[in-house]
Amino acid sequence: MAIVLNTLLIVLTAIAIPGIINRTRAVLAGRKGVPFVQHLRNVNVLLRKGAVYSTTTTALFKIAPAIYLGAAIVAALMIPVADLYPLISFKGDVICFAYTLALARVIIIMAAMDTGSSFEGMGAAREALYGALIEPALMIGFATLALFCGYTSFADIFEYEQSFDLHLTIVMLLTAFLFVKITFVESGRVPVDDPRTHLELTMIHEVMCLDYSGIDMGMIHIAGWLKTACFSMIAANAVAATGCFHWWFATPLAILLTGLSVGIVESTQARNKLSRNTTFIVTISALAALIFFIGYLLKLNINI
Amino acid sequence: MFYISLLLFLTLLTAALFLTPLRWKMWVAFAATSLLAISAAIPAIGALWGGVEMEIMQISSPFFGSEALFIDPLSALFVLVIGIAGVATMLYSRGYLAHYLNEKSSVHISLHYTALVVLVASMMLVVISSGGFSFLFAWELMTIASFLLILFDAQRQQVLRAALAYLIMMHIGFVLLVAGFASIYAMSGSGNFADLAICFSCGKTLPIFILFLLGFGMKAGLFPMHVWLPEAHPAAPSHVSAIMSGVMIKTGVYGILRTLWYVADKQELHVVGLIILAAGIITGLWGVILAAVQNDAKRLLAYSSIENIGVIFIGVGISALAHATGNNAVATVAMCGALLHTVNHSFFKSLLFFGAGNLYSQMHTTLLDRFGGVAKHMPMTAILFFIATIAICALPPLNGFIGEFLIYLGMLDSIREGVNTIYAAGGLLALALIGGIVVLAFTKLYSTIFLGSPRDHHVAESSEVDNLRIAAMAIPTTCIILIGLLPQFAINIVEGVAEQFYPNATSVLEGYITPNLWKISLTVWMLIIIIALLYIFKHRAQKSRSVTQGPTWGCGFTATNIRMQYTGESFSEGLESIATNLTQNTIEGRAVGKSEIFPSTHGYNIKHKDKIDRLFAAWWMELLHIINKRIMRLRTGKINHYILFALLFLVVIFILSLFNLI
Repeated sequence: MAIVLNTLLIVLTAIAIPGIINRTRAVLAGRKGVPFVQHLRNVNVLLRKGAVYSTTTTALFKIAPAIYLGAAIVAALMIPVADLYPLISFKGDVICFAYTLALARVIIIMAAMDTGSSFEGMGAAREALYGALIEPALMIGFATLALFCGYTSFADIFEYEQSFDLHLTIVMLLTAFLFVKITFVESGRVPVDDPRTHLELTMIHEVMCLDYSGIDMGMIHIAGWLKTACFSMIAANAVAATGCFHWWFATPLAILLTGLSVGIVESTQARNKLSRNTTFIVTISALAALIFFIGYLLKLNINI
Repeated sequence: MFYISLLLFLTLLTAALFLTPLRWKMWVAFAATSLLAISAAIPAIGALWGGVEMEIMQISSPFFGSEALFIDPLSALFVLVIGIAGVATMLYSRGYLAHYLNEKSSVHISLHYTALVVLVASMMLVVISSGGFSFLFAWELMTIASFLLILFDAQRQQVLRAALAYLIMMHIGFVLLVAGFASIYAMSGSGNFADLAICFSCGKTLPIFILFLLGFGMKAGLFPMHVWLPEAHPAAPSHVSAIMSGVMIKTGVYGILRTLWYVADKQELHVVGLIILAAGIITGLWGVILAAVQNDAKRLLAYSSIENIGVIFIGVGISALAHATGNNAVATVAMCGALLHTVNHSFFKSLLFFGAGNLYSQMHTTLLDRFGGVAKHMPMTAILFFIATIAICALPPLNGFIGEFLIYLGMLDSIREGVNTIYAAGGLLALALIGGIVVLAFTKLYSTIFLGSPRDHHVAESSEVDNLRIAAMAIPTTCIILIGLLPQFAINIVEGVAEQFYPNATSVLEGYITPNLWKISLTVWMLIIIIALLYIFKHRAQKSRSVTQGPTWGCGFTATNIRMQYTGESFSEGLESIATNLTQNTIEGRAVGKSEIFPSTHGYNIKHKDKIDRLFAAWWMELLHIINKRIMRLRTGKINHYILFALLFLVVIFILSLFNLI
C-alpha cells in the first residue's frame, strides 16, 4: 500500500512541478499565463502525433527515447516520499540511482550526435561536460546523507527517526539546498540552461532533441518531469527528515520548493553566459564537498 | 625439469608454427592456446570453486632456491581471464591479419603467432609461479613476447619508437622487481612471494612494498609510469592491443595484490592502503582526462585502460584501509568490486580494441575525425561497440556497473560507519568525477565514429568484417551481458579470492553482497522490460500514423554540410579548456581567423600530448644519449677488437680475484 501511494505521489510531483513553474512565472510577470495543466495537454498532443526521422539517423535514434524514459522511470521508482517505501530499494541504491540517470544522459547524447547536426552536437558536448562535472556533487551529496544517517539506501536514510537534533537539522537543510541546486542543473533550468530560449546556439537540453517529434518528444518531456521530481523529492525529504515529517509534508514541499524556486529564478534572473556555466557547476561540487566536511565535523561533535 | 620442459614446449611450438602453411598458422596457434587455456582452466576452476590450492610442480631454480607452480584462487581468477582473452584474441587475429598475409613474409607471420602463444603461456606462468626466478623468467618472457608483437608493423617509424620505449620502460620495471626479489632472498633465503611475510614482519615493509609497487606499476600503467601505454597500443595490431590492454597490464595488478596480501601489520597496511588509494586516484583522473581529449581511437582506449587501472586501485586501496581498521565488511565489498572490475575490464576493453581493429582494417586509420556514420556500413561492429561503450561507462544493465557499484558501496559503507571517512570521501569524489568524464570520453568516441554523417569517403567504401571476427567479439560480449544481468551468480568468481584475502568474507558475501546483487539484478531486468515495453508501445502507436523521413533539421539554415557536424575535437573542447594545464598541445597549421569573412583553405591539426612525456625528453635523456654514443664507439664491428675486449675482461677478473675482491 505504502509503495503504491509512494509511486503515485512521485507521479503527482512530476506532473505538478511544471505547472507550478508556469503559474509562478505568469504571476510574477503579471501575465494571465497558460493553465496549470497546459504541459499535460501539450504532451497529450505529442503522444498522438506521427513523427519525422532524419535520414542521417540509425536505429539508435529511434530506441533512445524509450531508454531515456525507461531509465528515468526506474530512477523515479527508487525515490521514497519521506518515510514511505519506494518500489526499488536496496543497500547502495543511491549509486544505482545516479548511474541509471547517467544511462539516460548517455543515450540522449548519442541520439543527438546521431543526427549529424552541428547544433545538436553542440548541445551534446555541453550536456556531457556539465553531466561530468555535476556527478561529484551528486555523489558527495549522497555521501553526506550516508554519513549522517548511517545508511546507503534512500528508504533507510529518510526513514531515520529521531527527535529534534540541531546538527542533523543543519546538515539536512544544507543538503536540501545542495539538491535544489543540483535540480537546476539536472533539469536544465535557468541559470544553467533556459528551456524557453529561442536561439539554438545557446540551448543545451532542448537543442539535443531538435530532431525528435511526436511520441519521442512526448517521452523525453515525461522523462524530464520525472528527473526533476526525483531531485526535488530528495531535497524535500532532506527537509522532512529534520522533524520526522511525513509524506503529506514532503510532497507539497517538493512541488513548491522546486516549482517556486525555479519559477522565481527564471522570472528574475538571466541565464549564465555559457562560459560561466562550468564555474557555476564546479562551484556546486565544491559546495557539496564543503557540506560534507561540515557534516563530518558535526558528526565528530566538533564545535564550529 | 621445468625449464627443460618449457624449452621443449617453445621449440615444438615454434617448429609447428613455422612449418605449417601460411593460412593454417592461425589454427595451429588457436589450437595451442585453447589447449593451454583448457588445461589451465581445469585446475583453476577447481581452485576457485573447490577452494583447493593445487601445487603443479616443484622447480629448483638456479638463483633464488626452490620454487613451485601452484594455483590458488587469486591465480585461478587471472588464469581464467587470460584463457578467455587468449582464445578470443587468436580467433580474432585471423581476419585482422588476413590482408597482411600477402604483404608480410611467412616467417614474419609465424614469428607473430609464436609470440602471441608465448605471451598467453607466459602470462599464465606469471600468475601461477610462486615467485623468485621462475616468476622473473616468465615476466621477462612476457615482456619480450609483447615487444615482438608490438613490432609487427615495424616499417612504420612510430611503431619502432613505441616498441623501444616499451622495452626500455619494462626493463626499468624488471630491474626493480629483481631488486625486490633479491631483497626477499637476502632476508629470508628464498625468493618466493610467501617469504614476503618474513620480510614484512621485520619492519621493512614500506621500502620493499614500494619497490614492488613501482616494478608492477610499470606494467600496470600507474601514474607516472603509464607513458608507454598510449604509445604502444596505437602502434600494435588491434588484437595485440586487446590482449595487452585487457589482460597483460592486469598482471601488474596481480603482482601488487599478491604483495599486498602479505602485509600483516595493521598500521603498515594503513599506510600501504593510503599509498594505493592515492596512486589509484591520480592514475584514474589523469587517465580519464587525457582519454577524453584524445583524437585517436586507440590512444583514447589506451588512456582509458590507465583510468580503469586507477579505478581498480581505488577499490584495492579502500579495501586495504578498511582491513587495516578492522572493518571486514567494507574490505570484502571493496575487494570484490576491485576484482570484478579487473575481470570486467578485460572483457570490455578487449571488445573495444577488437572494434577498433575492425575499423582500422576497413578504413586504415584510427583518427576519430576521419570516421562518422560507420554504424550504417558496419552494423554488427556498431552494436558490439555500443555494448562495450555502455559497459565501460559503468552503466546499468551491463557488467561495468556491477564492479563500480561494489567499489562505490565499499566507500559509502566506509563513510557511513565513520571509519576512514575522509579517505573514502576522497575516493568517492574521484570515482564520481572519473565516472562523469568517462561518459564524456566514450560518448565522444562512439558518436564521432559510428553516428552522424561520414566525414571521409573511406567510410562509404567500408563493409562489415568477416564472421569469424564477429564470433571472436561475441566471446567477451557474452561475458559482459551475463555478468551484467546475473551479477548474483557472477560474484562467485571472485568469492574464492575475497575469501583468500579476508577469512570471513563468505559471510559478508552471503549476508550482504549477494542479496543486494539479487535486487540489482531485478532492477536491471525491470529496466530492460520497461524499455522494451515503451519501445513496443511506441512502435505500435506509430504504425497507424504518418512516419516520414527528412533531412536533419538545420535550424532554418538550408546549406548545411557534413563538415559542419561536431568533431571529436570540438566535442571535448569544453573539458580541454579546463584541463589545459595537463596537456601539451601541438598545433600544425592555422585555424580560421575571426576576421576572415571568406576563409581560404586551412589545414589544422591539434595533438594533445601527455605532460609526463616531457619527463622523458628531459636533460637526463640527452645525457643518456651522449653516454650511449661514447659506449657505442666500442662497437667497432671488428672481430679482433672484440677478442681484445674479452681478453681485457679476463685480465680484469684475474686481477680482481688476485686481490680477493670477487
